[in-house]
Amino acid sequence: MSVFKGLALCVVFSAVLLFGVGCSIGGDDDDGGEAAGDTGQTEATGQEGGASLLQEVQNRGTLRCGVNDAVPGFGFIGEAGEPEGFDIDFCRVVAAAVLGDSEAVEYTVLSAEQRFTALQSGEVDVLIRNTTWTSSRDGTEGARFLHTTFYDQQRMMVPADSGVRSLEDLDGETICVLSGTTTELNLETVFQARGIDYEPLAAEETEVLQPAFIEGRCGAWTSDASQLAGIRSNWPQGQGGPEALVILDEIMSKEPLGPVVRDGDDDWADAVNWAVISTVAAEELGIDSTNVQQMLDSEDPEVLRLLGQPAPVEAGGEAEAFDAGLGLPADFAVQVIEQVGNYGEIYERNVGPDSPLELERGLNALWTDGGLQYAPPYR
Amino acid sequence: MTTATPMPTRRTPLWRNVRVLRFVLQVVFLVGVAGLLLYLVDNVVGNLERLGIPTGFDYLDQPAGFAIPDSDFSSAQSLGDALIVGVQNTLKVSLIGIVLATIIGVLVGVARLSSNWLVRKSAALYVETFRNIPVLVIILFWYLGVVLRLPPIGEAVEIPDLLVISNRGIAIPWFDKVGEGFAFGLVALVGLAAAVLVWIWRTRRFDRTGAPHRRMLWAGGVLLAILAVGFFAAGSPWALEFPERGERSTTGGFRLSPEYAALLIGLALYTASHIAEIVRGSILAVPGGQSEAANAVGLSGWQRLRHVVLPQAFRISVPPIANQYLNLMKNSSLGIAISYYELTKITRVSIAQQAPAVQAILLLMGIYLLISLSIALVTNLVNRRLTVKGRR
Repeated sequence: MSVFKGLALCVVFSAVLLFGVGCSIGGDDDDGGEAAGDTGQTEATGQEGGASLLQEVQNRGTLRCGVNDAVPGFGFIGEAGEPEGFDIDFCRVVAAAVLGDSEAVEYTVLSAEQRFTALQSGEVDVLIRNTTWTSSRDGTEGARFLHTTFYDQQRMMVPADSGVRSLEDLDGETICVLSGTTTELNLETVFQARGIDYEPLAAEETEVLQPAFIEGRCGAWTSDASQLAGIRSNWPQGQGGPEALVILDEIMSKEPLGPVVRDGDDDWADAVNWAVISTVAAEELGIDSTNVQQMLDSEDPEVLRLLGQPAPVEAGGEAEAFDAGLGLPADFAVQVIEQVGNYGEIYERNVGPDSPLELERGLNALWTDGGLQYAPPYR
Repeated sequence: MTTATPMPTRRTPLWRNVRVLRFVLQVVFLVGVAGLLLYLVDNVVGNLERLGIPTGFDYLDQPAGFAIPDSDFSSAQSLGDALIVGVQNTLKVSLIGIVLATIIGVLVGVARLSSNWLVRKSAALYVETFRNIPVLVIILFWYLGVVLRLPPIGEAVEIPDLLVISNRGIAIPWFDKVGEGFAFGLVALVGLAAAVLVWIWRTRRFDRTGAPHRRMLWAGGVLLAILAVGFFAAGSPWALEFPERGERSTTGGFRLSPEYAALLIGLALYTASHIAEIVRGSILAVPGGQSEAANAVGLSGWQRLRHVVLPQAFRISVPPIANQYLNLMKNSSLGIAISYYELTKITRVSIAQQAPAVQAILLLMGIYLLISLSIALVTNLVNRRLTVKGRR
């Protein structure tokens, strides 16, 4: 009796479980996400009638930002023990725009392999961590990429005394690369296409790659040019300092870096996007942190619109400040520029020619100067 | 004495029949658990679909896009194939780690009970050191502090025709296939069968006559003889290849990658310290009367160990040692810290390169479960064979 009873129970249990699991997995779309569809109102709504992340962040009072702590110039723990860098400043830009306070940020350090899982699961609200915009990340990682803040390329760094001057010289070499990145994939693609033999050494952390590179375990290191510049700028004097390393000129791939948010929340995405774009728009209009207060009384309607100031009306009527309906306060750009700065200031401060990284604006100059930074009209 | 008339039997109504109630309660509980699981699965699947992340396991057919060092894996192969390489690497480090850890552990465990003060104290020092440091720290130490500090390839230590040692790997001579190996494979099978038959014959002879069977020597000898004859008869299909130092790597022979070496040594030393303690404990657990009786019968120290103490200690030690084997296999996942491409590393890399996280981790857990159960199965078989009849 007890044997049959046990068997019967097992069969019942397994049948119920398998039936249920079989129905759920396999991609049937009865739960498919549809936007609640209430755009144009000040109350932000996200998927399926739930509150948008914008509302949630404003209620919470802090922004959770996913960042890096291993790339000098972009995301790094400074001497004061605080995170600083280009990406960190853009976290502060979003916080200033959404919450009015650029310091109301909770930084979560993420490795390359963890970052998308942390974003998908809601552990961070926005990921600003030198992440490259690719199609498969848009598609299968459930990510939405926003305005590209830094147009970068992938390059190769070798010891200056190795005699390597082009990628073909690296035949048979072991090459250090960060695992879980587009650089790992591009390395494979480029070297396979050119028929160059190599062995990858793909560690998760720069702390493991750096000793390997120093000890000669690998003869070259590939990454985004900005990261290589940062690593090189920090190279210990005991190993020869920055002069001991050479970054080859050959460009291996395009790496457009920018903030990332989750798919499916258009209101949050729009808010973050325009917060970031406002820094470029401010630089286009010549507004920076030193003159933003004076600019509040400007005659230029474009300036007034960006700064959320009512345009002067001649015959004593009510002037309205422009509100784009993003769910942000009308003067969010003032907060951003005052507390963090415009795009040029952020660039100069962290990665510009006067910083340890010594990167020229290059592709990241304004479109009027021959670069790619171009703000859509704020109207 | 009168026998009481038996009570008329009456069926208890279902609603207060204890056996029925118990059964119903169990069904209700199971349905509750199943319902909870279903809700969780549904929740996860619903959230994934809302985010636009694919559910299902189709991602395994996508091209991997990344290369795996030390293997013939091409980036155009699928993620499923990458996982298979990962399983192979995990098994490579686990199985050899298990063998090494057992050998070292047993030696150190016995050494801790030696009558020689120096031997005993050295063994104790080894055990206490390695047991008390987290295994990840040990592995990182071996990698960053020892293996990476070997001379760079330009200054590699070469023992001509034997070893090339550098921080890009240790290269040893190895067999390279130069002819048809199939015939030799058949010969090997024949040799194994013959060895087994010889083993059985010698054991039967021992049972019958009591003469020492020396079955290991006999079976081993037969196997080697047949293999040697077959090797030359098949035209020497394998030739020994010697490693040579190249400019960036070694050519020829077999190269142990530094990551593999560091992981293997770290895991083996750590697990060996635990096995040493288990061995020591199980030897001490053999009743003292056994040793006294062995002495009384006139066995020497070595004979006492070999015929009386160790066989009994072995039986006691099998379940905890099996546990350590499983620990070693699971600790192999720490290879991610030093970039050894075992299963967990490959899963993490594929998650970062477009594989959905939930399915990938579930698959990872399933594979580890399978490997663990296989190891446990083997050790349970050993355990059952050793159990004294009559004891559970």
